[in-house]
Amino acid sequence: MGAGEPAERVVVIGLGNPLLTDDAIGVRAAEILAERLAGNPAVDVVQSAWGGMRFVDLLAGYDRAIIVDAIEWRKGPPGTVYRLTPDEAIPTLRAVSYHDVSLGTALALGRTLDIPLPTETVFFAVEAAETRTFGEQLTPAVQAALPDLVRRVEAQLMQWKVLGVQTCTKPASHRT
Amino acid sequence: MTPPTTQAAPTGRKISIDPITRLEGHGKIEIFLDDRGDVSRAFMQVPELRGFEQFAKGRLAEDMPQITSRICGVCPTAHHMAATKALDDLYRVEPPPAGKAIRELVYNAFMAEDHALHFYFLGGPDFVVGPQAPAAERNILGVIAKVGTETGKTVIAMRRRLRELIAIAGGKVIHPVLGLPGGVAKPIKPEEQKQFQVLAADAVKFAQFTLQVFEDVVLKNPEYVKLITSDTFTHRTHYLGMVDEQDRPNFYDGKIKVVSPEGKEVARFAVQQYLDYVAEHVEPWSYMKFCYLKPVGWKGFTEGADSGIYAVAPLARLNVASGMATPLAQQAYEKMYATLGGKPVHHTLGNHWARVIELLYATERLQEIANDPVLVDKNVRTLPTATPKEGVGVVEAPRGTLIHHYQTDERGVITMANLIVATQGNAARMAMGVEKAAKGLISGKQVSDGLLNMVEMAFRAYDPCLGCATHSLLGEMPLEVTIRGPGGEVVQVVRRD
Repeated sequence: MGAGEPAERVVVIGLGNPLLTDDAIGVRAAEILAERLAGNPAVDVVQSAWGGMRFVDLLAGYDRAIIVDAIEWRKGPPGTVYRLTPDEAIPTLRAVSYHDVSLGTALALGRTLDIPLPTETVFFAVEAAETRTFGEQLTPAVQAALPDLVRRVEAQLMQWKVLGVQTCTKPASHRT
Repeated sequence: MTPPTTQAAPTGRKISIDPITRLEGHGKIEIFLDDRGDVSRAFMQVPELRGFEQFAKGRLAEDMPQITSRICGVCPTAHHMAATKALDDLYRVEPPPAGKAIRELVYNAFMAEDHALHFYFLGGPDFVVGPQAPAAERNILGVIAKVGTETGKTVIAMRRRLRELIAIAGGKVIHPVLGLPGGVAKPIKPEEQKQFQVLAADAVKFAQFTLQVFEDVVLKNPEYVKLITSDTFTHRTHYLGMVDEQDRPNFYDGKIKVVSPEGKEVARFAVQQYLDYVAEHVEPWSYMKFCYLKPVGWKGFTEGADSGIYAVAPLARLNVASGMATPLAQQAYEKMYATLGGKPVHHTLGNHWARVIELLYATERLQEIANDPVLVDKNVRTLPTATPKEGVGVVEAPRGTLIHHYQTDERGVITMANLIVATQGNAARMAMGVEKAAKGLISGKQVSDGLLNMVEMAFRAYDPCLGCATHSLLGEMPLEVTIRGPGGEVVQVVRRD
């Protein structure tokens, strides 16, 4: 393998509020992934509390994206990890803002305005037990889901061939 | 989890409702019908964040600007600034002029960015596309189709540039490291000031353009004007907002002023006295605490001068003021009141108009500060020396008056922390609005199609900062309306898919 720019660029976005107990899961996952993926020139790992239109800025310029977030879907017990696509519109998804548009709309808008957006986006959402009480610790079931969550994100990156290949020495940029 | 609460049914029978397990991150509205199938009561339940005081106790007050900016991903700068000002008060220290200028510069950039987002992406879809348009078109894509992709690109670019200004001054956009007790962390460089001057001039033009869009598309649409002035969205309450010494809105600092439904001044106070004027009322069916005016008293969910219910946010701020502090905004303010029949305006949808006028003011104010030589002065902080004990700070957030109140020990470790978030000021009026919309649209057990739309439109006008709004992922307005018969049985559930 020679040195040089990777063919594809992927962003992993950990969404969450680090003060609201299980709402931090995306942020915690991003912290772990940032360390593990340091030095990978094809993957950027970012943390964000944003959504909706502000997402468009986070996703712009990447070929693919993974978003990690908490969810209150109640299809499984706390700690369940779901893999979702943007088309799987889930009205009961907890992470909804009255202040911004849905991600689907934001992506459609970005395309209307010729902003280069990922052609594939995957969500890993973790069933949360508690997201409305202030606290800096994840609840036990959600904390226990972290290793599996990280593994699944990395499995997706491997499937996209941006992980598990020899990487050049150029460090990945980290944006927070 | 709190145990289920019971609520007496209109016919005297008891119904169990459990507000907590039902909340699940979106607004829930429960409507109770009487024996005739007409609306007897409507309850709006919103999720609220819990345990903040517990969380804050034992922390250093000096960390609060960083910590509280993480409470909400939508208004981080508002919390950051309110916390910073509470620290000024706690340490009895005033920023030097450059420190104040930098704070106000950043704060107005934030207000402009947030108001622009709301107009084009949230409120805009309701009226730029038209109230009768199909739901599929009433979103930002419909707005872009109407105003053009060039405008769309301008909106996104302008918001990005405003966020960059905040990042330059404060280090990070969403969690600025700007505010310190007595000032800010770093001065502005001359080359940065030049950048800000260019940005501010463009921002003013952008705000003028936005006002023109509003006038062209809304005011020239008689259907929309009818909706704005309709009785369903009208409530005669008190209004509360912050004004400067010339009685004009200032988002960063000033005194808190209250006017009656007739527009008479009934209070003007420094935020340190807020507990004499603002109290919180608790209802068993909601976590949200309903703010009301203490001197007037809580008289239930009613309107008028005898009810302590008040409103905050753009329309309220303009209602309490005597004018705007900048010339273009002043012209727009005069036009709004001339069109809507004088002051105060009680039409909730007037918030959209007032918001655009505020956008214009924020950009003009940004320009004033960007062109002020004091902005690049190197003295940006007065070091605190006093022993801390108690501090209160206030700003006008996009959604209304925001208050941070801390008590500490002599080391500055928090022993008490209370926040009055903007939406608590509107909570009671919102609840009344939901009930009014429900009563207007449900009779004889028949639910009009427009119910969800009407309720959502009211919601968007208030733009409530509900605890769940830390970030969005999928889904649009997640309101769910449950209509129940007199025995509590579910008659119908209406929700946005």
